[in-house]
Amino acid sequence: MKGRQRGIRFVLGALAVVGLLISGYLSWVHYMGVTPVCVGGSGGCETVQTSSYATILGVPVAVLGLVGYSGLLLSALLRGEIGVYLGFLLALVGVLFSAYLTYLELFVIHAICEWCVASATIMVAALICATAEVYFSGTQTS
Amino acid sequence: MNARRKNRPSQQGGLLSSPRMLLVLLVGVAIVVAALLAVLSQFGGPQGSSASGKEVGELYSGIPQKGTTLGKGDAPVTIYLYEDFQCPVCGQFSRETLPEVVDRSVRGGEVKVVSEPLTFIGSDSVPAARAALAAGEQNRYWPYAHLLFENQGQENSGYVTDEFLKSQAENTPGLDVGEWSSDLKGSSVTQQLQAAQAKAQSAGVNATPTLIFSGPGGQTKLVGLPDYDQISQSIAQVD
Repeated sequence: MKGRQRGIRFVLGALAVVGLLISGYLSWVHYMGVTPVCVGGSGGCETVQTSSYATILGVPVAVLGLVGYSGLLLSALLRGEIGVYLGFLLALVGVLFSAYLTYLELFVIHAICEWCVASATIMVAALICATAEVYFSGTQTS
Repeated sequence: MNARRKNRPSQQGGLLSSPRMLLVLLVGVAIVVAALLAVLSQFGGPQGSSASGKEVGELYSGIPQKGTTLGKGDAPVTIYLYEDFQCPVCGQFSRETLPEVVDRSVRGGEVKVVSEPLTFIGSDSVPAARAALAAGEQNRYWPYAHLLFENQGQENSGYVTDEFLKSQAENTPGLDVGEWSSDLKGSSVTQQLQAAQAKAQSAGVNATPTLIFSGPGGQTKLVGLPDYDQISQSIAQVD
């Protein structure tokens, strides 16, 4: 059981690192004022990144992503139940907020940023890992 | 080991004694935090404190803006729009024709528009142009310029006061007014303003609004108050 939990934590940590790379790149794009590389050259990333929803009270959403993924990485490194529940909380907040951002992209901004889609997918995978960790942690203690 | 773990919950007591209660609590906290982020994101979204702020937010929502450029960077046709914020015909163009150009030609990526603010009508044109360019430092030039035209007063009547300019900044969706105030005094705005005057001189622009269309098919010019059909024809001519 412990080996399985270690495996899940490793996957969660790896997902957090990929998420950090994506949000780090988008934060860099924001502060450097450059156009993000968008797969297929559709320009959707530029549209989303320059939209008025790209910041919350002056803080770029990408920076919030950096904070969230850092917390997720920390939760994967922490031992004990604190790490398990912190990972679950952060992944759940991440999935809910990503769902809202995807709604904005589809129905308000009318453009899709592949980086944001990738981040949302990572968050969903992280939530699956975090839920599995909570489940195994529960079966171990009960 | 298992026996020790079994004892732990009863020692801690409270909410943590029940993993199910803790999970319910975490889900609740997650929903509240995500909802809070969603609500806060609306403050940077297309809404202002006035009705015109809202309209402007909707008009430019989802269209890339960089400095005085509106539209996708790789749009094949560029319209250089020479305008003076005190010019009544420019105001009419901004209110009546520009929204159609934005919706039908810019939003789809066919055209980008570059504003070149001129200051030939009078001294009040200068602070107005500087204020719009300062908003451009945060890529909010277009909504700010639109509000300037929406609330335009009589030429050289002194309506362009600091309070007036600040009020438009406060109504511009997503604009950080503190940063805007600081950019207003910066040398970047001065340089951009001087560059626009020099560009107008070399392009032979002596009236506003003047629209210069540039694309793979060459260049053409419209002066005065063209309607969308004339603009569309000019786009097709240079595309």
